[in-house]
Amino acid sequence: MSQQDPSTINGGIVVAMTGKDCVAIACDLRLGSQSLGVANNFEKIHQYGKVFIGFTGLATDALTLSADLKYKHNLYKLKENRGIQPEVFANLISSTLYEKRFGPYFSTPVVAGLSEKTGEPYVAGFDCIGCIDAARDFIVAGTASDQLFGMCEALYEPNLESEDLFETISQALLNAADRDAISGWGAAVYMITKDKVTKTYLKTRQD
Amino acid sequence: MSPQHGSQPIQHQFNPYSDNGGTLLGIAGEDFAILASDTRQSVDYSINTRLSHKIKVISPPVTKEMKLESTDIVGTKNSVLFGTNGFSADGDALTKAFEENWKWYVHDQNSNVETGFEFLNENNEEKESFMSMQSAARNVQHLLYGKRFFPYYVHTILAGLDEEGKGCVYSFDPVGSYEREQCRVGGAGASLIMPFLDNQVNFKNQYIPGTNSTERRKIEYLSLDECLKLVKDAFTSVTERHITVGDGLEIFIIDKNGVRSEYHALKKD
Repeated sequence: MSQQDPSTINGGIVVAMTGKDCVAIACDLRLGSQSLGVANNFEKIHQYGKVFIGFTGLATDALTLSADLKYKHNLYKLKENRGIQPEVFANLISSTLYEKRFGPYFSTPVVAGLSEKTGEPYVAGFDCIGCIDAARDFIVAGTASDQLFGMCEALYEPNLESEDLFETISQALLNAADRDAISGWGAAVYMITKDKVTKTYLKTRQD
Repeated sequence: MSPQHGSQPIQHQFNPYSDNGGTLLGIAGEDFAILASDTRQSVDYSINTRLSHKIKVISPPVTKEMKLESTDIVGTKNSVLFGTNGFSADGDALTKAFEENWKWYVHDQNSNVETGFEFLNENNEEKESFMSMQSAARNVQHLLYGKRFFPYYVHTILAGLDEEGKGCVYSFDPVGSYEREQCRVGGAGASLIMPFLDNQVNFKNQYIPGTNSTERRKIEYLSLDECLKLVKDAFTSVTERHITVGDGLEIFIIDKNGVRSEYHALKKD
């Protein structure tokens, strides 16, 4: 109990994928304290206008960070009189994280959204000090990131329609979580298209 | 700050183990089994060789008649496909130790015993006998547990045909705990590939459409072609994301006709 890795105390995963005119982002619902399960309704994905962000890592930092970003998003809307674009939000997160370069938040966020002008899908991931990974295919984060990388690399293909993307991201998340003792306990999937956002809870193993 | 010079004696430590990376994968089918591995051997960020062999085909002699039927046969249907992954020196040592046991076992099985002890060999029949996969697995457990306090630093996977001719895969931890399974991945890429195999071989998290996730998709044996596709997909995927996996893919297939092998190139970066 003396020295532990802050990013793996609470457990949890987030994954985001791009499709044809759509993006999906999904998370598990577990909050734990090491091997002890504490809550099965801990949603890691937060909505900021039309941008969705999933926070993995240390839960307290994830919550602090999400509140800080909510504050900054509100100020942005007040100043600019418009919603924020996912690319802009990614840069905002990056600088927010880098401010704490020498005492970082132990959280690795994932951004997903559609660019308002072009309608292009956008996903991005970060390390805990704000380095942006703007992948064109998928982003994974959390305690089962290895498992997610394996699943996504094998299942993913570009330009999937939203129904197929939903199945792909769900299977990637579910099977990755089942091979990680501190992820799972429920899952939520957001499917974001031009004129509709759907949120689906998945039936998962409860062990 | 570094410790002040001379304040304490400098301590040196010999580390007898190293991690040579790589991935090993076994799948059992209805009447065949596959054992596959990449062929890269590395230490830290250096590649020692792009063509190392982590799998040994331990086989009775291949007869001319078998060769006539198919030229690329490298073992009989009674072979044991023996794969190790982790610290390759230990893997080689374990493979040799098992091979030795296997040879003596087969020799003793087939040699006529003294009069009065015929029951030990089914009345000194001329029928040739081999080592079953069940026995091979138990022997490997003894080899591994024999070094319980200075273990072979390897993940071991055996593949072959069981006594009914069904495909089988046995997997071991470094100290000999083992299990028979439908599929197993070991080594560096295990965490990436294993959930994929859960999904595609054992159909985990797959439900029959329209049943509102109440009826699971029934598990069924995959064909050889389907299994080979999965193996290649798994290795190309893990090669993409893991630095110690790559260069080449060596696949051994055992069925009633014997053992044959395939080689496919993987990315060398």
